[in-house]
Amino acid sequence: MNTIPELLSETVAKHKNRIAIVEEGKKVSYPELQSMVNSLSSYLTSLGIKPGDRVAILLPNSIEFIVGFFSTVNIGAISVPVNPTYGEEEIRFYISHSMAKLILTEERLSKTVDKLKGPESKVVVVKGGERGLSIFGKERENGLRVSINPHDEAIYLYSTGSTGKPKRVSRTHLNIIALANNHTETIGWSEEDRILLSIPMSHTYGFGNFISAIKAGACIYTVEGFNRRKIIDLIEKERITVFPAVPFMLEALANTPFPRPTDFSSLKFVISAGAPLSKETFERFFKRFHIPPRQLYGSTETGVIAINLSKDIENRFGSVGQPVKNVEVKIFREDGSQADIGEIGEIAVKSPSMTTGYHGLPEETQRSFRNGYYFTGDLGKIDEDGYIYIVGRKKLFINISGNKVDPQEVENVISRHPKVREVAVVGVKGSDEKEAVKAVIVPKEKIEAGEIYEFCRGKISDFKIPRIIEFREKLPKSPTGKVLREKLR
Amino acid sequence: MKEDIRERVKRVLREKFTDSTKQLEIKDDTPLFGIGVGVDSVATLEFVIALEHEFQISIDEGEIKPEILATVDTISEFIATHVLKKSG
Repeated sequence: MNTIPELLSETVAKHKNRIAIVEEGKKVSYPELQSMVNSLSSYLTSLGIKPGDRVAILLPNSIEFIVGFFSTVNIGAISVPVNPTYGEEEIRFYISHSMAKLILTEERLSKTVDKLKGPESKVVVVKGGERGLSIFGKERENGLRVSINPHDEAIYLYSTGSTGKPKRVSRTHLNIIALANNHTETIGWSEEDRILLSIPMSHTYGFGNFISAIKAGACIYTVEGFNRRKIIDLIEKERITVFPAVPFMLEALANTPFPRPTDFSSLKFVISAGAPLSKETFERFFKRFHIPPRQLYGSTETGVIAINLSKDIENRFGSVGQPVKNVEVKIFREDGSQADIGEIGEIAVKSPSMTTGYHGLPEETQRSFRNGYYFTGDLGKIDEDGYIYIVGRKKLFINISGNKVDPQEVENVISRHPKVREVAVVGVKGSDEKEAVKAVIVPKEKIEAGEIYEFCRGKISDFKIPRIIEFREKLPKSPTGKVLREKLR
Repeated sequence: MKEDIRERVKRVLREKFTDSTKQLEIKDDTPLFGIGVGVDSVATLEFVIALEHEFQISIDEGEIKPEILATVDTISEFIATHVLKKSG
């Protein structure tokens, strides 16, 4: 098994009687999933989609997202998942940068997408509206005999950096197969598992869990967005076994005053990734729901890197764990030599599931991909038992509850406001250690913070809009004119 | 009761949005968007959880529309209906 269509067909052959996806009570078995994929694949072929073409999947977590992804790669095209909660300018960037020939989306977004896409892109509504799932209704076998090389590109994901724009990361079929194998073999998922996916499948963390669940023949419960009571109901009633989350979700669940005791006894794994898990959140969640959150470490460039499966989790909760199978992690000093045990340096990863570089960015690629390793930009250490601890970062980005924000991207938007002379954006930590986006603005004339919020709304995702806005007469700068960001916090 | 709810909402706002409220007098009709309420979903949910604790009520994420988060008055009206429902 070396390609994604083979991964799906092997699972279908092994688990003919099992349910693959449940969404709002609607169930899709593995054979039904295959049939829907065949149908949409041939429909895409009839629309002229050929191997190597890019297909944007602008959909929330849903049956349609999963069918859309497999249908695209089934005909040798490249899938480009895009989070539908993004702002219009962001969606336009992803569609245009990936040169998407076709966009799979939902009815409520179709007018927006029509406005944002180029004249050469087609839009197909697969969720909601008159057609919706009917596209998947009739199985058409024509056009499905496509030869796929395991080294062909399968998916484009975008990584946040400090370049002002997201960086395109390409992963091949073989990369994704390796990711699913490494993940499932390390954690030990099986067809008995029921995985609740509320984190977006259009991002690397959600995507990794989704593809690994399919590899294991498990059942995926798709949820759009984060609703605390819906999550609790599903875990209890559907006897969910795996719940991947970000720390903010765990904190919200642990802090919510539910009127009755909750039963989380079915859960085997609560996984926390995307941002550091604080001691307070770990303890509150563990105390309230009697299951410890376990940290996972991954990146868009590599997929899953490590997970904390320690039996002594109460003392080791702060670690992101040991590398998953077939993945190597090393810590390097500034001079390029390898750090000793316990010594802090930059975390570097070698993995069969990693990309080889950033599209069109040779300098960034050269900086981050060296000697077969991806240099993550995270600072960390490894203890004598091989457990990895992340202690900081080298890269200039802000982490908002697992969402990465490039300050330059936010500065680019705010600086277009006619009353703004200059702006600098930084991350600030509150007393709870969580980061928030702060904008320091030098105005040309009198301006209120509300005008900045309003200006940003819709242009960028809501989590990127500065929560703190400060007006100053000038920005602190070095003699060479560089903004001294440390003095803005 | 409504006056009491308004004052307690203002207190929660001052606690959750310290940076943007420290130099601002929050009035009943102050637009909350201008101090960051409803700007992003994480901050909004933190505010909602704080209100749930303050008033011992349950608020579903789906109920939180921008018009409810418009001013102290609108959010207080919304809470008053929850409090009344709870008391029966």
